[in-house]
Amino acid sequence: MYGGGYIYDEPNKRPLAEQLAEDPDKLAAFEARIAKGEKIEPGDWMPSEYRRQLIRLIEQHAHSEIIGALPEGTWITRAPGFKRKLALIAKVQDEIGHGQLLYNAAETLGKSREAMINDLLSGKSKYSNVFNYPAETWADVAVIGFLIDAAAIVNQVANAKGSYGPYCRALERICYEESFHLKQGHDAFIELATGTPAQKTMVQEALNRWWQPIMHFFGPPDKTSSHSEKLMQWKVKMASNDDMRNQFLDMYVPKIWELGLSLPDPLLRKNEAGKWEYTDPDWDEFFRVINGEGPCNEERLRVRKWAEENGRWVRKALMQPSDKKSFPVA
Amino acid sequence: MNTTAIKDLIIKMADDELILGHRNSEWTGLGPVMEEDIAFSSMAQDKIGHALALYQILHEQLDGVDPDRFAFLRAEKDFRSSHLVEMPNGEYDFSLMRHFLFDHAEAVRYESLAASAFEPLKSLAFKIKGELKYHTLHANAWVMQLSNANEESHARMQQALDNTIALAAGIFEPSEKWESDLISYEIYPGEQILFQRWIERISPILEQASLRLPDLKTVTPVYGGRKGYHTIYLQPLLTEMGEVYNLDAEASW
Amino acid sequence: MSNDSLDPRVNRLKLGVAGEAIRVEEGENWNIYEVFHQEKRGAHHEHVGCVHAPNQELALIFAKEQFARRKKCVNLWVVKSADILAFDVEDEDMFANNADKNYRDASGFKVMEKINKYKQSKK
Repeated sequence: MYGGGYIYDEPNKRPLAEQLAEDPDKLAAFEARIAKGEKIEPGDWMPSEYRRQLIRLIEQHAHSEIIGALPEGTWITRAPGFKRKLALIAKVQDEIGHGQLLYNAAETLGKSREAMINDLLSGKSKYSNVFNYPAETWADVAVIGFLIDAAAIVNQVANAKGSYGPYCRALERICYEESFHLKQGHDAFIELATGTPAQKTMVQEALNRWWQPIMHFFGPPDKTSSHSEKLMQWKVKMASNDDMRNQFLDMYVPKIWELGLSLPDPLLRKNEAGKWEYTDPDWDEFFRVINGEGPCNEERLRVRKWAEENGRWVRKALMQPSDKKSFPVA
Repeated sequence: MNTTAIKDLIIKMADDELILGHRNSEWTGLGPVMEEDIAFSSMAQDKIGHALALYQILHEQLDGVDPDRFAFLRAEKDFRSSHLVEMPNGEYDFSLMRHFLFDHAEAVRYESLAASAFEPLKSLAFKIKGELKYHTLHANAWVMQLSNANEESHARMQQALDNTIALAAGIFEPSEKWESDLISYEIYPGEQILFQRWIERISPILEQASLRLPDLKTVTPVYGGRKGYHTIYLQPLLTEMGEVYNLDAEASW
Repeated sequence: MSNDSLDPRVNRLKLGVAGEAIRVEEGENWNIYEVFHQEKRGAHHEHVGCVHAPNQELALIFAKEQFARRKKCVNLWVVKSADILAFDVEDEDMFANNADKNYRDASGFKVMEKINKYKQSKK
């Protein structure tokens, strides 16, 4: 579900010129291919910086899927009624499925799934910040299923037009499933918004809690982001953070307002030029949470570690170290 | 035809599916490897789906209440689940062994229902045949591979079998009141026959897995669930399952 | 045993302490199998992705739920990624001038033109 516009990068002190120092002929051919709208495939020559950025992007997207399964999983055993229960299990299952597809896409670039999992567990690699917040009530699940998935779709539809073949193919499959996620989330959301006064209060409160993390979802404002020009040219990053945020607000704020719900931002409005204006969310908090100080960072990793640790005997029992191995071919 | 007897049969089958579906769904997102996580979650969904289909038969054919109300508002003593399905998940060896034993029991039960004189059960048996085939294929592969892999995994699977067999035999607790009616009306062949077919089904697989099936003479099946006596684990699970629904059972969720 | 999680499932787990170092060993997620999906009888099997599995049997079992739990499917193939042989990208030029060899295509033969010319000449 959940790429998000913001992709964490380790502090990188190498000068840009050095990072891009590549065989000029090969680089030109590579860039020409992308400019023509052709895809890059795993065996192709690619600049090392392109490979590094893609691994970072796809890996963090994959981590976001499997960590994203946890906040919603919070309500699996408590989802009300058969239909919601089955839909929620199927949805959380899809997140794991998406993680699987994305790890495979990243593996085509030469980093093993095990190495990626280790970087997640050690905190070296990040995942979408939004999953470091708790799903306090059933209504939080509806808000996540509707709005976080909607935000993710904006991001993923853009990324699916990117330059790297395996990532695009994974996203195509993911977007197909996301349409179910969005629909079931919207349905649960509407049910609460149009339900009893207590249900309305429940969903309004959840919306208030999640609004800031949702505004954070696409990452810091464009004016503060660095090094995205080359990534845009290489079609790794397909749209700017602000553009995606604006697109999301344009599509979904009316769908919230039409149900008689409010959003906790008095400045939120669409101006004459068709752009959305809003109060800047607290970006200091965004960076604090990324660096481990969110309400659920610790629990998310502890649970993930539990799963890896308790599944180890199963995996180890069937390991075949002598088996001829390679990365995925496509 | 004795509808009270048929209801009794359907409720115990459905309650087993509902509770085990819930237990197994708890693994979603926490499984040992992503691919298995997905497979196990699908099968949990299937089980909850089977429960729903059975509650719908009660609702639509036998004057029962709406499936959601029946599943999420009933008192614990009115549940007819076996103790096997009520047990918490523990580790994956237990969950896999329970899956193996339960799903084979389910498979022999539904195979027999394909000849049931009660049409709705007969058509349900036909409808879910393919699902059960996958479930038992999956269970067999895991039980055989893990048991034959290394010392630790073999020991774990043997231990899981030893711990689970009496509980699993409890699936076949016969109904004191209705068993003979259900058999004579050819609704199903009765628990005793299903138990024998189940043992015949699992024995060769356990043998191939190098697992020792405990001597059945020494195994006392854990009964009680079908009469409404449950483990201490059921009530907390029911409370949890109904937590949101019971905030307002009249509301639409 | 409570972990003070909002998730009752998590409260039933015995979580390790925060910050505990857990490492997954290389190879622990097994080998990689490419998956081919046949949508209906008569259709080609098409590549749809891959699964990690310790052997063919589990690869097929995993592929079924990862790649056929929604869309129509009647069969699947799995094959170890390492067993796939493909051309190098640099060899793409070997395929370059196929389109020029019109003697291999129906379009390379102007039958009607010749017939029309013959008919014309008979008038």
